[in-house]
Order: sequence, then C-alpha cells, then structure tokens
Amino acid sequence: MDQLSLLFDGFGAALTPMNLLWVLIGAVLGTAVGVLPGLGSAMAVALLLPVTFSLDPTAAFIMFAGIYFGGLFGDSTAGILLNTPGNSSAIASTFEGHRMAKNGHAAKALATAAIGAFIGGLIATTLVVFFAPTLVKLATVFGPAEYFALAVFAFLAISSVVSESVVRGLAALGIGLALALVGIDGPSGTARFTLGMPQLFDGISIIVITVGLLALGEVFHIASRIHRDPAATQIKTRGRARINLGDVRRALPAWLRGTAFGAPFGLIPAGGAEVPTFLAYGTEKKLAARRKDPEFGTTGSIKGLAAPEAASNATAGTAMGALLALGLPTSATAAIMLAAFQQYGMQPGPLLFERSGELVWALLASLFIGLVILLIINLPFATVWAKLLNIPRHYLYAGITVFSMLGVYAVSSSVLDLWLLIAIGLAGFMMRRFNIPLAPVLIAVILGPMAETELRRALAVSEGDLGILVGSPITITLYLVLAVALAVSGVQHVRHRRTRKDSEPAVQAVDA
Amino acid sequence: MSITGSRPDAGRRQGTDNPPAAEGGFLRGRSELLVAVVLYALAVFLTVGTATMNVQGSATPGPRFFPVLVCILLYAVATALTISVLRNPSVPDTRKHPDHGNFSADMLRDLAGLPADRTQTAPAGSWRTYSDWRTIGLVLLGLVTFTAVLNLLGWILSAAFLFWIICYALGSRRPAFDAGVSLLFASAIQLAFNAGLGLNLPSGFLGGLL
Repeated sequence: MDQLSLLFDGFGAALTPMNLLWVLIGAVLGTAVGVLPGLGSAMAVALLLPVTFSLDPTAAFIMFAGIYFGGLFGDSTAGILLNTPGNSSAIASTFEGHRMAKNGHAAKALATAAIGAFIGGLIATTLVVFFAPTLVKLATVFGPAEYFALAVFAFLAISSVVSESVVRGLAALGIGLALALVGIDGPSGTARFTLGMPQLFDGISIIVITVGLLALGEVFHIASRIHRDPAATQIKTRGRARINLGDVRRALPAWLRGTAFGAPFGLIPAGGAEVPTFLAYGTEKKLAARRKDPEFGTTGSIKGLAAPEAASNATAGTAMGALLALGLPTSATAAIMLAAFQQYGMQPGPLLFERSGELVWALLASLFIGLVILLIINLPFATVWAKLLNIPRHYLYAGITVFSMLGVYAVSSSVLDLWLLIAIGLAGFMMRRFNIPLAPVLIAVILGPMAETELRRALAVSEGDLGILVGSPITITLYLVLAVALAVSGVQHVRHRRTRKDSEPAVQAVDA
Repeated sequence: MSITGSRPDAGRRQGTDNPPAAEGGFLRGRSELLVAVVLYALAVFLTVGTATMNVQGSATPGPRFFPVLVCILLYAVATALTISVLRNPSVPDTRKHPDHGNFSADMLRDLAGLPADRTQTAPAGSWRTYSDWRTIGLVLLGLVTFTAVLNLLGWILSAAFLFWIICYALGSRRPAFDAGVSLLFASAIQLAFNAGLGLNLPSGFLGGLL
C-alpha cells in the first residue's frame, strides 16, 4: 500500500504545531462563513487568497482544506434554525432539519448534521486516498482532444443540464468565456481585448472575478432587498448539540446511504452537492413512506436530515480527488481551489502528484485533520456558532465589502482592478436579480483557457480535421454521456413546461 | 420554500407581488432585456476586438479562432434570451433564492419527490421598482468614492468611509457609533497588514503627517 506510507508522510508534514494552527484557523473561518447566510467556502477562499500570498503554499492549502469542509459543516445551521438555507447545498437538509428544530429538537438536529458531515467527508476522503493514483493513471492517457472533451462536458453539464434555464446557463457560460479571453494569448503572444492597457496583458485576475461575483454581487443583492424582505425568525437553542445512542443507531444507515449518493457526484461536473443531497433526501422520503415513519414530514425525521448532510460532504471530498488528480473542478468551490493552485504556480492534474507530491499528501492529510477539528468545534459548540446569526447584517456586509476591496487591492495594488471589481460586482447583482446562474461563469473562467489551448493543440496536430475531437473511445464516451444527459434534461424541461401550462391556461391567457 | 422560489412565474399566478405602481408599459416584466443588451454589447465588443486584432504568428488555428466561437455563442444566447423574454414576460417573485438559478428547481423537486408546488403569498409592497435602487445607489456611491480617493486619502479614511456608508445604507441608525467602529476596523486592518503580513496599503496624506 504505497498510498498509506505517502499519507503517513503527509500526516508528518501536516501535524506540526504551526500547520495545526492553520487548520484550526481554516476550520473556524470555514464554519463561520458556512453559518452566515449567503456566504460560502468559495467566497471565503477567494477573499483569503490574496492575504495568504505571503504564506508558504503548504500552510495556505492546509488552511484552505479547513475552509473547504468547514463551509459545509456550518451551512445547515442557518437552515435548521431559521428555515433559510444560506447555501444551496443545505436546502435538502433544511426540510427535515427545521421541522426537528420547530419541535424542540434543535440541538439533536445540529448534532446530526455535524456528525453526518464528518462521516460523509471522512469516507469520501479515504476513497480519494485509495483511488487518486488510479485517477492519475487514467489522466496520463488523456491527450488534447480528451481534455477538450472534459472541458466541454463540464461547461454543458453545469450550464445546461442542472441549471434552471438553459438559455440563462449558456449566457453565464458565454460571459465567463469572454472574461477568460482578455489578455495575452499564450501560444501566439497576441494581445486580445486589452484595449491597449498593459495592466490587462495578464488577463483579468481570477480573484477580481470571483470576489466581484460572489462577494460584491451578494452585497448589492442584499442592498436591493434588505429594506423589503421580511427578516426570518430564529429558533432559540441552549446548551450543547447532543445526540443519544439510540438516535445514532437510527441515523447511521442514513448517513451511510447519503455518503453513497454523494461520493460519485464529486467526480461529475454537476455543480456540487445539490443533486446528490436532493437524491439522498428523496430516497429517505421513499423509505420512510414504506416504513410508515410518522415523523417524516411532520415532526422532523432524523434520517431525512442525516442523509443529505452526509451526501454534501461526501461530494466535496471526492470533488477534491477529481480536482487534484484530473485538474477537473466539479463545483464552483472546487473551481476556486483550482484557481488557488494556479496562483501558486501549480497546475492540478497528473503532474501535480509527481512535482508537488509532498504538498498533495500533506493537503490530503490535513483534510482528515480538518474533519476531526471541525467535528470537535462543531459538536459541542453548534449553538455558539448559531450566535453568529445575531451579528447585525449591516456590519457583516460592510465588513465583507471592505475586505473585498482590500483583497483585490492587495493582489497588485492596482486601482484599475478596483474599478473592474465594481463592474463585475454589478454584473453579479444583475445575474442574481434575473436568476442567471453564477457557477458557469466561474467554471468557464477557470477552464476556458485550458479548453482553448487543448482545442487548438488538437486541431494543429490533426491539421484542421475536426474528426480528432471524437477520435478516441474516451472522447466518444464523454460526448455520448453528455448527449444523453442533455436529452434527459431537455425532456424534463419540456414536460414540466407542459404540465404547468395545462394547469393554468386561464391565468396565462390573461397575463400574456 | 426555497426551491419553489426559483420559479420565475410562480408569483404571477398568485398575482400578489406585482409592484402596484408599475401598471402596463412594454417593459413591464421585461426588464431582463437589460441582460440581453449586456450580452449583445459583450458580443459586439468581442467582434470588434477580433476583427481588429493584431495577430502574431501564423499558427492555425490562431488566436482569433476561439473568440469567434465565443462570439457565436454570445449572439445566439442573447437572441434566444430576447425572444424568451419578449414571449414570456415575468415579474420577479419575492421569495428567497439561495442559489440564484444555478439548479433547476423542477429537477431537484423530482429527485427529492417533493410535491409540485407549495404556494406562499408574497408580502404586498408599495414600491415602484422591484429592487431598492436607493440602497444600491448608496452602496455604489461608497465603492466609487473609495476607489477614487484611496490613493489620495489613504486606506484608513477611505475604508472607514466605505464601511460607514454601507452600514448607513443597510439600515443602521447609529451614525456616530458606526463611525467609531469604521475607524477601528480600518485601522486594525492597516495595522495587521502593514505589520503582520508586510502588504503595503496606501497611507495617503496622513502618511506625510504622521
């Protein structure tokens, strides 16, 4: 078992007092942004990237490991106590979680969520340790055409298959690809869309784009609604999150089922944890109906909460594997992590294990350490974290705004970047206002340059023959799977539109 | 609840969240045309940039190849969006959108076996526009001012102003207390960054005095 000895070396590197401190800082920050509605690990990593430039890469990534999982530990807290899931990965946990809280089981719900997140993350990270070398071997047979197919798969899966509206998803994809085009074209040295400004020769910084879309865009969005939407009421909890042995025994199968749903989805670019969490919730619901479980849907079933929570962290765990071994970001958060690697001059993918093996295994080890620390700081103190929800929202968003400006200015001390940040923030607000998904923009910005380079490389080799793009079993399989997924989601969209039209013909006619 | 909230036409059926002041008019329910305009503008910018590009090297496919593909995508999507908005105008629903259209609510509902819809009446409002443009304007003013005066006034004063105006815009009614918090926050960051991380934030004219 080669991996085990490498992993033990990784633990050796990660278990220094200084690195433990970084994991702890990451875990605390991650949980905090997870608890606060509207913020997530993606934004936290983007905001912290510029600040961590002066750290050595291992320390920075160890901290990011804590943030990465931490965001998913905290995200269900707001959903359970306020019935307003702060992040979409927590929506499925909210259904039964909030019912439990309303019926006086808030502490039990918080504990179930924390343990579920721990189990899902633990199993998934273990899988990554054992299967990462296999993925790396798979990736070494990938040529330009295969990488291009992978990028196309990611683009269309995120913008069309899972998104609310195909047109809006593709619009987001187009915006992202356009942003990625700015700068000097690597292969030819041509300046593209820079308006002659030397500051733009390196392209628009990925930090400007992420911070603008995720942080400033959210601030604008909050500003547009804060005086209009009613505030949610919080269910008060006291004491520690606690759970007894009987509950653990009832929740354990659900935790494991949730993990089984979540783990495969980390490898598919389906945008993150939403699809597996809903699948897990749906399965628990069917099982509850078969068992005639009276709690489900009324007073709140512990299983209906346990499964989606485990699923979301399991997805995050294997997503890290796909990112490290293939260089493929399968969710917005993974895309930001990929950007973080690029900022440090590293390219995730098969070569990363060879060139920066020490860092990779230290990172994997710190994912385990991070999970343990997260369980320790979440299980006894879940109700303390809930106090974060009492921070006045104006201080919270004012702080985020100032931090966004600080982070972007710290990258290159450029005022032009700040103007760009404001413009992209307004674009992020526009997209939120009209329900245009943000994830395709991030994926396109990160994978766009790779897609372009590989496409041109493939066509240069084949001297313009498009056949090379579908010339290998791997590419054919990828495109076929994509075509089936697109067809299924197309049928879905049409079916739902039809049933909706049938049910409301009169209103439609009046309103049109 | 949340996932039903991402259905743009859900509010229309109940007819309760129509901004009362906005009766009739072509743009009613069609404000999303703004997005189409932005997409067309982006496409035209890319087209002009591609046409006037000073191409280096002679490799095929060259640096113009991919931008052309992106242009085609943008024109197609902008046109499709225009048609869709013209055919199905929709007023915004006022419910919570945790993920802003990233996921199809129909798909998630099918996966979870949730009932088709849960009706929820939206609170009736008396505002003219859906978005609160006064608050957005204040936030934008703060950001623009910050960027414009950063190098002149230095980090502490600019950042404190930005923090303060956003608190004010988002509804804080303790301006004097907020001013103190803002100055403390901005100074703490300056101190942490200059001393701790070695990043230099502009000190502005205060730097000359201190």
